[in-house]
Amino acid sequence: MIYSGSVICIPPSLPPWPPDSTKSASEAHQSSLQERRVLVVDDERLLSETTAAILTRAGFKTMVAYDGFSALEKAAKFRPEFLLTDIMMPAMNGVELAIALTKMSPVIKILLVSGQAGISDILEESRQQGFEFPLLAKPIHPLKLIESLNALKEN
Amino acid sequence: MVESNTASSRQGPDFTDEGMRNFLAAIIASSDDAIVSKDLNGIVSSWNEGARRIFGYAPEEMIGQPILRIIPPELHYEEDFILSKIRSGERIDHFETIRMKKNGERFPISVTISPVKDESETIVGASKIARDISERRRLDESRYRLAAIVDSADDAIISKDLNGIITSWNNGARRLFGYQPEEIVGQSILKLIPDDLRHEEEEILRRLRAGDNIEHYETTRVSKNGDLREVSITISPILNSEGEVIGASKIARDVSNQKKVERLAIEAEKIATTGRMAAAIAHEINNPLASVLNLIFLARQPGLSPQEIQSFLETAESELERVSHIARQTLGYYRDTGSPSEVHLKDLMENVLSVYRSKLLSHSITVDSKFSDLRKIRVRAGEIVQIFSNVICNAIDAMPGGGLLSIRTTRIVRMNGDAIQVVIADQGSGIRREHLDKVFEPFFTTKGNLGTGIGLWVARQLVERHGGQISISSTTDPGSSGTTVTMTFPFRGAEETNVAEAL
Repeated sequence: MIYSGSVICIPPSLPPWPPDSTKSASEAHQSSLQERRVLVVDDERLLSETTAAILTRAGFKTMVAYDGFSALEKAAKFRPEFLLTDIMMPAMNGVELAIALTKMSPVIKILLVSGQAGISDILEESRQQGFEFPLLAKPIHPLKLIESLNALKEN
Repeated sequence: MVESNTASSRQGPDFTDEGMRNFLAAIIASSDDAIVSKDLNGIVSSWNEGARRIFGYAPEEMIGQPILRIIPPELHYEEDFILSKIRSGERIDHFETIRMKKNGERFPISVTISPVKDESETIVGASKIARDISERRRLDESRYRLAAIVDSADDAIISKDLNGIITSWNNGARRLFGYQPEEIVGQSILKLIPDDLRHEEEEILRRLRAGDNIEHYETTRVSKNGDLREVSITISPILNSEGEVIGASKIARDVSNQKKVERLAIEAEKIATTGRMAAAIAHEINNPLASVLNLIFLARQPGLSPQEIQSFLETAESELERVSHIARQTLGYYRDTGSPSEVHLKDLMENVLSVYRSKLLSHSITVDSKFSDLRKIRVRAGEIVQIFSNVICNAIDAMPGGGLLSIRTTRIVRMNGDAIQVVIADQGSGIRREHLDKVFEPFFTTKGNLGTGIGLWVARQLVERHGGQISISSTTDPGSSGTTVTMTFPFRGAEETNVAEAL
């Protein structure tokens, strides 16, 4: 796809991930590099790529994955502050991905998006495991999306 | 004596006094009834064989003894009453009471007692004819019990002869059809059959004459005030002791409420299917719309080259094409008026597949479809979409780990008219043998809370409304598990449907 080159961004140095609360001042400064890093996951490629392009322009560092498993792999290297993921995806759904990443990095901020109503079972399952994630309905206006991510950061 | 005996055997009884006495003595001796006589003090003066059989006392044990021996102590007062009647010359007919056998057993008896007069018309005693009515009592009781059951039954229970004339009519029949027994007994059963279903009666009578039962036959009958009643009827031949069919008993149950529940369940399923499809459609529409929003937003960013803007807008346009394609394909279903139209089943199947496209993708299910139905078929498109949707949703649910969904439509040639056969086969977990018989039953589900249990049941109703058939085969053998649903839709289905509905 024509946009992928512009959005995949490999930072020069990687902070420890998950962030370590006992780290020194310099390490803490280093970890700020981690801020505003968004992993965008959607099996609808055009959507994940255009979303990443918009977020990049808004000053986020972005990485795209098209399914849950590759998102897990990429997250280990990319160490995102945010996970923005679709819910209905092959093999591993967005909620499963969110739970897995939360276990790897408890501070990761999750934003779920979905274009369909029939996901209440999936959400119920995650609630029973003690996880509750904010959810936005597709289609989302890009400005609203940026606003939601910033709001998550302030919380 | 010898002469008269000879005469009686040759010419019937002789009517000399002695001949008459002998003749009467013979009748008394051979009677099944107890025939005894007693004097006005209640002392037994004669005791026949019948009395010995019934009471167990030999004549020599009873003659000269008080009749009170065979009367239970608590009923001794009856004897005073009987004797007083006899003394006044009255006769007691078919007096039903209890008497006692020699072994003490009490039993019901019917007695007729008449005064015995001498030549001077003086009452000298009583003759008593007694019949053991235990057997009759038992028969009566079972008859009364049956009658009570028949009368208290909620179902209409009717009997008729082989000409279709009603011979009995219970309370249930009165409630269901509104006729009193006196209005309808003796009338033709056709009074209960709507005009357009009269042909059913010939068929019913034909089968009854052959000795067949008709069980749970669902049809419509008409009540006194003209209301139609949906009933399930069971008809059995009534045989005489020679085994000949002499009539029929008919049990009719009002299934109007049950039918109403079934109709509501079908409606509910339609709404559920609509909901499921709407959720899938929402996904198919919202994704490209989200991309369009993104693309337009990107196109409006400052500093882009005209080529970049052009590229964003062209992509947005093709996404909008995708949305309108999905809308055209799927939303048409909701416009379906329910009346039959000429369509290719292939098109309906493709609509359903496009609705579930992303669900299929997200389950890693590959669809292999071959459509060979080149001729259009007259069907209610909305119902066919619902049938396909139910079957395909089951296939998707059965393959959480992915697999192949094979879909075939072929024209088949049959004796009773050509049809289109649709075969949908999955490689899912399969249906266990013990569940396979039940999958078409309402409210049967193996999906726990997620299943309504009426998808396949509704599918079958809808297939049958098109004059078609649906069958299912499945295996759970590891490695080769899967379920195949085969449906047949006759080309003449829509016409046959009306006939089927009328029945």
